[in-house]
Amino acid sequence: MLVEILDIVVSGLLMGGIYSLIAVGFSLQYGVARVLNIAHGEFMMLGAFITWMLYNVFGVNPLFSLAICGPIILIIGFLLYRTLFTRLRTSSESIGAYEGSSMLASFGLLFIIQNVAILIWGTDIKGYSYLNFGVNLGGAIFAANRLVTLLFAVVIGAAFYLFLARTHLGKAIRAAAQDPATAGLMGVNINQVLALCFGLGALMASFGGTLISMCYPIQPTMGFQYTIIAIIVVVLGGLGSIVGSFIGGFVLGLVGSIVSYWQPGLSLTAYYLLFIVLLLAKPTGILGK
Amino acid sequence: MKKKTFSPLLLVIPVIMFLFCATANVAPAKDTILIGQAVSLSGPNAIIHMAGGLPPQTLWVEGVNAKGGIYVKEYGKKLPIKWIQYDDKSDHGTLVRLIEKLILEDKVDFLLPPCSTSYLFAAAPVVNKHGYILLGAEGGAESLTELLKDLPYVFSVLNYSNTQIPLLADQFVAWGVKTVATTFLEDLHGVEYSNRALSEFAKRGIKTVMLKSHPLSNPDMSPILKAAKVTNADAFCSFSYPGENVLLTKQAIELGYNPKVFFGSVGPFALWFRDIFGAKTIEGLMGGGAWNAKTSPAAKDLYDGIIARFGEKGIDMWGNLYYWGALHFFEKAIEKAGTLDQKKVRDVMAKEKFQTPLGLTWFDENRNLAKECHPGEIGQWIKGQWEVILPNNKATAKPIFPKPPWPAPAPAKK
Amino acid sequence: MDIPTLTSKRSLVSGSIILIMFILLAISPLYAPRYTVILLTSIFMYVVLTVSWAIFSGPTGYISLAPAAFFGVGIYTSAILGKALPLPIVICFGALASFCLALLVGALTLRLRGIYFAIFTFGLVEFIRHLLLFWECTVTGTRGRIVILVDQTTVYYVMLAIFAISLLTSYFIRGSKLGLALQSIGQEEDAAAHTGVNVTMVKVITFAISAFFMGAAGAIMATRWTYIDPYTAFNPLLSFMPVLMAIFGGMGQLYGPIIGAAIFTYLEEFLITRFPYHYMLIFGIIMVLAIVYLPDGVVGLLQKLWKRIPGRKHADT
Repeated sequence: MLVEILDIVVSGLLMGGIYSLIAVGFSLQYGVARVLNIAHGEFMMLGAFITWMLYNVFGVNPLFSLAICGPIILIIGFLLYRTLFTRLRTSSESIGAYEGSSMLASFGLLFIIQNVAILIWGTDIKGYSYLNFGVNLGGAIFAANRLVTLLFAVVIGAAFYLFLARTHLGKAIRAAAQDPATAGLMGVNINQVLALCFGLGALMASFGGTLISMCYPIQPTMGFQYTIIAIIVVVLGGLGSIVGSFIGGFVLGLVGSIVSYWQPGLSLTAYYLLFIVLLLAKPTGILGK
Repeated sequence: MKKKTFSPLLLVIPVIMFLFCATANVAPAKDTILIGQAVSLSGPNAIIHMAGGLPPQTLWVEGVNAKGGIYVKEYGKKLPIKWIQYDDKSDHGTLVRLIEKLILEDKVDFLLPPCSTSYLFAAAPVVNKHGYILLGAEGGAESLTELLKDLPYVFSVLNYSNTQIPLLADQFVAWGVKTVATTFLEDLHGVEYSNRALSEFAKRGIKTVMLKSHPLSNPDMSPILKAAKVTNADAFCSFSYPGENVLLTKQAIELGYNPKVFFGSVGPFALWFRDIFGAKTIEGLMGGGAWNAKTSPAAKDLYDGIIARFGEKGIDMWGNLYYWGALHFFEKAIEKAGTLDQKKVRDVMAKEKFQTPLGLTWFDENRNLAKECHPGEIGQWIKGQWEVILPNNKATAKPIFPKPPWPAPAPAKK
Repeated sequence: MDIPTLTSKRSLVSGSIILIMFILLAISPLYAPRYTVILLTSIFMYVVLTVSWAIFSGPTGYISLAPAAFFGVGIYTSAILGKALPLPIVICFGALASFCLALLVGALTLRLRGIYFAIFTFGLVEFIRHLLLFWECTVTGTRGRIVILVDQTTVYYVMLAIFAISLLTSYFIRGSKLGLALQSIGQEEDAAAHTGVNVTMVKVITFAISAFFMGAAGAIMATRWTYIDPYTAFNPLLSFMPVLMAIFGGMGQLYGPIIGAAIFTYLEEFLITRFPYHYMLIFGIIMVLAIVYLPDGVVGLLQKLWKRIPGRKHADT
């Protein structure tokens, strides 16, 4: 019995690690840069595929790929924001209008990125085996690659938290999140900071993608389902709260694990039920403002 | 004025009528056979088409055109194929509309099928209503067969649960398998296969000790695998799609779950499946299928042809040969009918037998590809090769039982 | 109304144009090629979804991503009842079922604003989809349903009728007290409440009305798509499309959504037939360009061009 509980809890955490990373990324993009990025999952997919390609062609260790894919996707995200979303922001009459149009623009991006991925890598499923052996933890067995994923998710999350709390740039980001106008007055280059936030959000997605590629098969259409999960987690944790998103990811992972134990067919349904119930009961989420 | 023009009209009209009637008997000048296809080229359903129907269909069209075309007696010459493809975006509504576009606006001579069972379902009544032949490819299901009985223009090609599962069950009996743990996809495929398996196993005294469903894109299969492990069942069956079966295999390896039989209905037949894990790892893994290059010289030609044109990712050792054979059958039916008229070609297809890369090929009274023409039903990875193991008379190798345990993990680099 | 004669003349002109358009559409099955009729039916479907969507989301500014849910309910009603009941009744039931669902959803989401409302409606679609999937697999043991085919011309006329009625409804709501209330909610919801508008009632009723037409559209379109399962019936993409089309067409005017839907559908048709392997890429690029360069939609663009014509007298809107 204890083993079963351990099993469920750890499985939930393993899943939750990935959820947390993508949710933090999404939260950065929405909470600070005010873009509801429907194409978030596509950045994750890109990270996953580039990692796969590096592993297959050059034999690069996926964990090392974190350092390669990450910056690439960060730059792509940064540039996208500087060109497309800044343009939208400056030409929108209100925040509401901007949120709407940026969401739709990101939808267009989804189409573009997915088609490009299909053209480059084809439509079939890809995967590779990395650290695919079991580790015995107190009687329950877990895949080593998933444990490593969890470790990295926590480390990245912690590192990011420190970045936000301690560094100059991090404080600028937090200022911009709280009140962009005032932050601008205080000498923060708003455009740069927001673009950086968006890029960092994409970076998180890319990290998530690399880690996922270690444990799961990947295909070009995989992105959207993770975007949805990011949305659910962000609502769970509170729109705008990065720490909330991080914790929320683990909570959702646990929920999924518990439901899967009983009835795997209902795991996704449970996510959505939780989602709509939460929105009705406490839309601001666990740690929301 | 009127009287003057009246008499010449009296002459002109019959001449015009004569000319008109005369020309009606001669078929208008035609130099291609227009073949249209509405199929998923984007979206989640595209994956099935790219390795499944696309390679044999492409090779067939190119092969026919390399010979100059199909000889159609009505036109007294060979007509090459012009192939139009439309993307249905993995949406049934769009598919139906595009099929009607092909039929009504482009006025194609023949259709090539959409991919995946539910799309065949959607297309079948529409195609039949317009009196166009639909030669199936990827997809097939027992409930589809029920629907097809009343649709004389629809021909089903691929094999599925009703021929595969009984053979699997018999083999289980031969091996002394007594218990099975099953998981299935929440989808027509999964539901049908698992229902069929439940009944076939029960008939032979094999007990299904676990039956759990999973949704499409299920993020984590480990609860299912752990539950299966606990039951200590002799065999593990997954009736699901490639993505799900890859994940199941991956996690089974990680969890060290080693049943004596590991069967995945869709997915193991592909070379990319092997490449994800490595040939040594999946030794003994079984799957639905099946054919390989040893099935026949014609099969070898197809295998080599696909590799040359598409690379290994184009190889699907379940359906490729079925579709290939069916297309050759279709070609010969058109030749025999001597015309592009749907009804005449259909009648030939329903009644005749032709030699094709599948051997002697024909369709049964329900217009399913006859069971005897199937190159194989179940396959297994043996010594790095996908072998046909069932039925016995089509087997290319002896099956291995039990499945050897997953090997120790390889070092981090491949 | 500062220049009454000019405005009423304008509305008379646009009214007659619309009338002529409908007459042409009504007789087109007689002279147009058969496929054009089919394509028009698809265009009508998107138009109905977009116009209905705009009935609620336009004035209030609440972006609803629920069209797929209401459309799907209509489809399923048709699938379940289609064999037993005659077509007109099935369509009414489909519309009513969606209406009731919208009432329920509307009542539940009273306090949700802005982005929360949008993602709630999105989550709703997915929830229904997955729940129904599980239900069909585990409880009824089936997957998908077969719907009887109805002939093309009937479907065309029914869709045309739904299009006409939804457009009329949209027009009348705009000009009515309800429309005014909706506008005031869109501008400043709390102020509207203070001025005596029953905000809850107004929102819920309008939301339900928009769902009514979506359900009807779903019920009739199902008859063209013989095989229905939860995955195809509740497709979230179908929720995004009306939003895109309305914004693309232009939200300000009544006919903006119509133009947006028509152009989008035709564009899609063009791309999937001419560029099947690149459809998503080209479509995505056009979408992004449209959002950046046409913030007021096609109608906004047309209005700007119209004003540019030298010597043209224009009335200030």
